[in-house]
Amino acid sequence: MKELAPFLYIVGLGCLYGVGYYLNHKTPVPKGCENLKADCEGCKITSCENHPIYDLSKGEKI
Amino acid sequence: MLGNLFSLFLTACIIDNIILSKFFGMCPFLGVSKKVSSAVGMGLAVIFVIVGASILTYGLYYLVLVPLELEYMDLITFILVIAAFVQFVEMFIKKNSPSLYKSLGIYLPLITTNCAVLYVAQQNIANGYNFAEMLVYSVAVPAGFTLTLCIMATIRERLEFANTPESYKGNPITLVVAALMAIAFTGLAGLV
Repeated sequence: MKELAPFLYIVGLGCLYGVGYYLNHKTPVPKGCENLKADCEGCKITSCENHPIYDLSKGEKI
Repeated sequence: MLGNLFSLFLTACIIDNIILSKFFGMCPFLGVSKKVSSAVGMGLAVIFVIVGASILTYGLYYLVLVPLELEYMDLITFILVIAAFVQFVEMFIKKNSPSLYKSLGIYLPLITTNCAVLYVAQQNIANGYNFAEMLVYSVAVPAGFTLTLCIMATIRERLEFANTPESYKGNPITLVVAALMAIAFTGLAGLV
């Protein structure tokens, strides 16, 4: 049982994150906050959804 | 005791500033320091997340990992706990406070990947802090982050109107300013 503890522990934490992610994405965004963007220009990774040229509504670069 | 806590706060906040002396959190430092309002929002969100994540990870380490002799799993534990914590915080703010979500919510996904959060969680354990020291350290580090971010934002707002050479515009001039700020902060090294 002791050998299984780390495995079960990680699975538990992973599940916790999974549940949090699922519930967060199911929760509707408040009115007026649909198109909020951080407009982060810290790097040139344009596939990051915080980059200004990434269009959140379409889920792709513009 | 109070003197020790105060010197810990001063050291973590200003002298060992996480951005200017440790070079953690450079991504939001460069990305979200264009406007003072954004810098304040990001700073507040970072303070909230780091304090919350530190309390959680500290408790989990000493109440779960140590009794189960799983201390070697601290890194993966902290990563997952921080990521899950940010998801739950974002969901809570979305549901209960749209105004707070408007000002802080957009920065929460950025903070998940902020190495400063993980750094603080690890340092709390590595330095063997007790609960009070852990709390002070967990407030001081993001306070220093916010201070630096706000100073940089005020400078960058003024730089917009400065006659900067074309090749220096954007990140290059920001890094030059950051280097000068880091030199200025090293002058405070003898303070504590």
